[in-house]
Amino acid sequence: MADNELTMKLDGKDVPFTQGETIFDIAQRNDVFIPTLCFDPRLKPFGSCRMCAVEVKGIKNPVASCTTAATAGMEVNTVTEVLEKHRKTLLEMVVSENRELEVSPLRGVASQELSILVEKYGAKTGRFKGAQSGHSRLDDKNPFILRDYDLCISCYRCVRVCAEQEGDYAISVMNRGFHTQITTEFNLELRSSACTFCGQCVQTCPTGALADKKALRHA
Amino acid sequence: MEQVIDQETIDLLLIEQLQDSPAPLLKILHAFHERDGYISETALRAVSKSMGVPLADLFGTVTFYHHFSQQENGFNKPRVCTGPVCRLNGGQECLSALAEQGATSMPCAGRCDEPVPVLIGNEQWVGDAQGKLTRKSTPLPPVNPGKIEECVFAQIREPERGTLPGYRRTGGYEGLTRAVKEMTPKDVIEHIKASKLAGRGGAAFPTGVKWQAVADAPGEPKSIVCNADEGEPGCFKDRAIMDYDPFAVIEGMTLAGYATGAARGIIYLRYEYPETNLLLEKAIADAYAANLLGKNILGSNFNFELYVRRGGGAYICGEEGSLLNSLEGKHPFPRNRPPFPVTHGFENLPTAVNNVETLAAAAQIMRHEPEWYTKLGLNGHAGTKVVSLSGDVQRPGNYEVPFGLPLKTLLYDWAGGPKPGRTFQAVTMAGLSGGFLAGEDLETATIDEPSIRSKGSMLGAAGMIVLDDSRDMIAVTHNAMEFFAHESCGKCFPCRLGTQRLTERLSGEGPMQLQVWLEEVNDMNAAMKSFSACGLGMAAPLVIESLIKQFPARVQEFVEKR
Repeated sequence: MADNELTMKLDGKDVPFTQGETIFDIAQRNDVFIPTLCFDPRLKPFGSCRMCAVEVKGIKNPVASCTTAATAGMEVNTVTEVLEKHRKTLLEMVVSENRELEVSPLRGVASQELSILVEKYGAKTGRFKGAQSGHSRLDDKNPFILRDYDLCISCYRCVRVCAEQEGDYAISVMNRGFHTQITTEFNLELRSSACTFCGQCVQTCPTGALADKKALRHA
Repeated sequence: MEQVIDQETIDLLLIEQLQDSPAPLLKILHAFHERDGYISETALRAVSKSMGVPLADLFGTVTFYHHFSQQENGFNKPRVCTGPVCRLNGGQECLSALAEQGATSMPCAGRCDEPVPVLIGNEQWVGDAQGKLTRKSTPLPPVNPGKIEECVFAQIREPERGTLPGYRRTGGYEGLTRAVKEMTPKDVIEHIKASKLAGRGGAAFPTGVKWQAVADAPGEPKSIVCNADEGEPGCFKDRAIMDYDPFAVIEGMTLAGYATGAARGIIYLRYEYPETNLLLEKAIADAYAANLLGKNILGSNFNFELYVRRGGGAYICGEEGSLLNSLEGKHPFPRNRPPFPVTHGFENLPTAVNNVETLAAAAQIMRHEPEWYTKLGLNGHAGTKVVSLSGDVQRPGNYEVPFGLPLKTLLYDWAGGPKPGRTFQAVTMAGLSGGFLAGEDLETATIDEPSIRSKGSMLGAAGMIVLDDSRDMIAVTHNAMEFFAHESCGKCFPCRLGTQRLTERLSGEGPMQLQVWLEEVNDMNAAMKSFSACGLGMAAPLVIESLIKQFPARVQEFVEKR
């Protein structure tokens, strides 16, 4: 076993891994914290938030640890001054598009993820003020899921969980760039879409943009 | 009894006709767009049903593309270019003049040497500031004054070069004939490697090495994809090549197929070139009829099928991962790399994605010895590059320059220098993606990647927009950033947010104090350059960085005098 055991260096420490494991997986297994907003262990690695970028010796730009498979002998640094500065900048940019950070935990199990990270990085500085993205669909009269997209940060975890875990493909991404918006077919209400109201999207949302309307009655 | 075919049956039949060829979705969407004048809900329901694509996904994907209209009759409404060069040449005024006809703007449509391109349905027009429209063909590349030997443009000005007889009369298909009859695929790869030809879409990856990787990769069928999604503002070289020398691209792709063992090729053509699309379709049909495509090409046992697919209007689809997703009918976000297309490309199979110019050059190089091409460059640089030169210069156009040519030779001796009474202020590099060079750099730069990189920019696909002293560099930079924001795909956070916030800061919003303004901009630039997922987000900061570096006084005035 020792003969063909693969190892890499994670923050200066030799750690074993199995073929195909990503840097992020290995870090989690070794209790090394790497921040992320778009990661959900049930979903395929997506690599959009870039918060999990790490430095790899020999590669010029940081790589997203969630989408990069480890290779034998790879030397990875997960925390450097430069990485932490970029992560803070990025979080400040995310905060600049999100209208509120303090949301009720009753909105969903992952709903505090963004605010916890913002707190950790001291990113609530009011920098990068500008236009808001996303529009809440408070007109959606379904009794289960609140679609408060004013709080959306376009990580697409909801879209991916709907496709990858539920196989419903009820929601998707419309437009592009800053104008992306979570949508259903023809931007209809959820009741007119393929949605089965399973609630998976609510439970993966890291900002509380999606919330359980019934739970919120107790908020 | 009279039988009436209902609309749904008709729609499904249309889809059925197109469904069996590779990469069918774009072709089907275009068929509906043109037939109905827009992409209707009914059409999308029919496509979703017969192709098994979830309706929400299909709807979202269609909204990603700039040109697919979901408004009735939207297809036929004029689209007027308001790209960076057209803004200098009456693009906005033309748009206003055509407002009554329901005109909308489109990003750079690749006719910067003779603006302003206007698209009406599938017709390409040229407009002026009064909104007067004229039909004109693509400008031919001007002849260089020093009679310096060319590769890609060597025969492009020959009469009838765009027809198969004209192409063959001027040396066309000599390279493929030689390859198929006298050389093994491995020989062809070695020949291209020895020539030092590298990717002319901007990345400059060695072409022979790429072909080798595809040849070596397991999995069939392999593909050659020609990236003809020329979307970078200020780049219009591929259009000239395809319009006047379509067979060079076809021959280059066929060669690549022979070298790599690929059985099929797809040209991914940008939406804005519908007439080029027709020319390519005709050229492909002629090549099939002459046994230069299809089965047993030139009497050999080599087979190669070729298709054209037209995009829907998205700059990011020039990024190869997005392009491949677009061909596969998926949402055109870039793909995570690795794996690379050479092993996991179109339909997850080995694929060589090559630029138009690269393929046209390969066809020429196969007619010669590799050293012929290498020696075309100056001062130890190998080969040539087509530069799309536009903006405030006497003779804009596509110029094929030897690598290593001094930039000022191109600007003054070849293109005639500034307009009367004007001086050059700045020249953009890599279209907009390289930011711009100004001052001393314009005197000392040579046209090759090491020289341009040493000045903090990049050559890329070699679009160069000249800006004279009458231009406000803040406005130019704002326009550039607005383009990047418009074209950001929305997947990765640094690019989606950064291009927007930088655009806002260049439009007069943001902190009032210079120091704070600069800190915000510099921090965003740094995060975007290092954390973005693809080249768009990494390159977008260069234009504002070069503004701050080259024109600090103007930046200070702009920020403080609001």
